[in-house]
Amino acid sequence: MMTLGTAPTVSDLSLYIPDLKIKKRETALAEMVSCVQRAGVVRDGELLLELLRVRERLGTTGLGKGVAVPQARSVTVLTPRLVVARSLKGIDWAAPDGLPVTLIFMALAPAEWSEEAFHGLIGRAAATARLQRTRQRLLSAPSSAAVAAVLREVSA
Amino acid sequence: MTSQDLIVHLNDLDLLLRETMDPVSRARLKKLGFGLEGIARLQAARNRTAAEAERRWMVIYERVRQRYGKAVAAVRDRVCLGCYVTLPTTARPRAVHEDPLSTCESCGRILYWG
Repeated sequence: MMTLGTAPTVSDLSLYIPDLKIKKRETALAEMVSCVQRAGVVRDGELLLELLRVRERLGTTGLGKGVAVPQARSVTVLTPRLVVARSLKGIDWAAPDGLPVTLIFMALAPAEWSEEAFHGLIGRAAATARLQRTRQRLLSAPSSAAVAAVLREVSA
Repeated sequence: MTSQDLIVHLNDLDLLLRETMDPVSRARLKKLGFGLEGIARLQAARNRTAAEAERRWMVIYERVRQRYGKAVAAVRDRVCLGCYVTLPTTARPRAVHEDPLSTCESCGRILYWG
């Protein structure tokens, strides 16, 4: 998992999860929230996780082509982050095309953020993985630094 | 969930509900490809959380929400992030017997100290 700041620049490689060894969407969310909490991005991981679960029940955040952008705007979030995780085996995310999700971009923002700003963050996440070539590069990147380099290049 | 958790979660759910109901916001999210078909489930979750919250805090919550749109404000470095006023050192509930919830003396929002 890796976090990107307000401007989409890679800022914290210690949060990179190169391969989530998880098959279920809920467990994947919990694993990512756990890392975010350890990084001090959120004050209450349980509340954040519950909000992410509710968001998934509202409608899947799987966009197809193996990409999901789970999202939460919450009082418990301290700083805006775009958290990136990979799953090489894929996770069932109830995506419209039925494909398992291999790239997850979790968009987190504090409640003070406007909807427009939050959607900008979500939109950047979705745009990052739009190109097949970028997705393949992210999936085949051998290290967190290589993933960071791809993300930097895409968001430049 | 504690009374504080319920109010904070309710605030988060209301933000999500508003985002989902607003036509412009909804169109933006649908254009990005997100599913939003479960509004009834979201509304039900919101109602359940509201029903569980303490009544006296719900009264304050609804009053402040009507006024500002967002009823809960996070506190950072003793500053209310709703109105950006520095709170007095006594504003934070500390003792076990004290109510974990408090309001900003300036704007009236429910404070989330985290």
